[in-house]
Amino acid sequence: MSSLPRFEQLALKHLQAAYNLAFWLVRSRPDAEDVVQDAYLRALRAFQNFHGDDMRPWLLAIVRHTAYRWLNNRRRAGNVISIEEAYEAAATRDPAEPADQAPNAEARLIGAVEQDYVVRALAELPPAFREVVVLREIEGLSYRDIAKVTGAPIGTVMSRLARGRRDLRQALIQLLAEDEPNAV
Amino acid sequence: MQCERVRELLSPYLDQALPAQDRAVLAAHLESCQGCARLAADLRRLARSLSALGRQATPPSLMLRLRRALAGAQPPVPGRSPRPSCWSSFWPRPRAAGWVPRRAAPIMAACALTAVATWWLLSLAEPEARLQHDVLAAHMRALLQASPTQVASADTHWIKPWFSGRVDFSPSVTDLSAEGFVLLGARLDYVGDRRVGVLVYRRRQHSIDVFVWPNPSNKHRAERVVVRKGYTLVTWTRHGLSYWAISDLDAGELNTLQRLL
Repeated sequence: MSSLPRFEQLALKHLQAAYNLAFWLVRSRPDAEDVVQDAYLRALRAFQNFHGDDMRPWLLAIVRHTAYRWLNNRRRAGNVISIEEAYEAAATRDPAEPADQAPNAEARLIGAVEQDYVVRALAELPPAFREVVVLREIEGLSYRDIAKVTGAPIGTVMSRLARGRRDLRQALIQLLAEDEPNAV
Repeated sequence: MQCERVRELLSPYLDQALPAQDRAVLAAHLESCQGCARLAADLRRLARSLSALGRQATPPSLMLRLRRALAGAQPPVPGRSPRPSCWSSFWPRPRAAGWVPRRAAPIMAACALTAVATWWLLSLAEPEARLQHDVLAAHMRALLQASPTQVASADTHWIKPWFSGRVDFSPSVTDLSAEGFVLLGARLDYVGDRRVGVLVYRRRQHSIDVFVWPNPSNKHRAERVVVRKGYTLVTWTRHGLSYWAISDLDAGELNTLQRLL
């Protein structure tokens, strides 16, 4: 059958989105890879049920489902939080900056610190809020698409997003206050 | 609008998801309320930080891994059960009527037959080939020596007793000088992991070795002629003894010797 080439053509271009969501749900790089592979195999099996032109919400819904299944299976062994890896990712990230506005060393350090805090605060947000924040702020999905991915009504998406943003801000304020002696 | 209500609507406001009327009211409130304006600014900064964070970098190996996994898992064809792999037809399935699926039976039978035939041929050919090799090597070694015999005599009544006590059998020793095969003598040699007797004849300038040892299987085997490295080998069995004659004579003359012995 010719559905595999077509599936690859449609689904593999959303690999970055799939991996990003999987990472933020399971919070570990190797586990996110496993989740993505599992999700893509599931998506291939369910491909005949996909009708439409935008595959991203459909695929991300499968990734999300797979990630939660995976988390449930792992719950017995304790919730493994791999924030170190999130730190590492933020620290090694090499922001592409235009040459003419390269910031001085101090500004750059502050930028990096802020990103570290953001990663940490987001990783510690409860998953129901974390996922809508990731889908909205990083993935840039519309409320409607977020509703498709999470299976929640749009009103719920809106209120979770509002709550998630507020909690994230609160967490950041707290993190900054805790680390203030180091920052100064 | 109350500050509390404004704070609830700030998130959709920043996403530009509010109806135009609500949006205008909220914008007006943020102009006048410093606390709500500070919150809005924080949320904007937060949104910028999050989008600046970007997606987590996908490991480069993941794409290849996915392609492999997908290639190994073909999607099901609607309305048809997945086709069994070629291997599964060779193994008994739990609910198969017979132990061996019908289609695989002839293949398995053919495989078994081939294996048995190969083993049988090898078991026949391998010792034979080794004997040929040993006989040829012994003959060549003898030709390299100053004398191919340990006992030099044309007298059969001298040669035959010489063998007794040296080998555990008594080969027939015949003087065939009248037929052009001159008996030069005899020696002992080592062929096929055992000590064997060798009668040495000469026909014109050609040296002939006749190796003799008891036929282990005691089965009569038809006379055979092979040529290896230009040497003719003739083998036969008689009275429970295996005979291997080797020479650079042609097969016809060696066959004459075989008939006379």
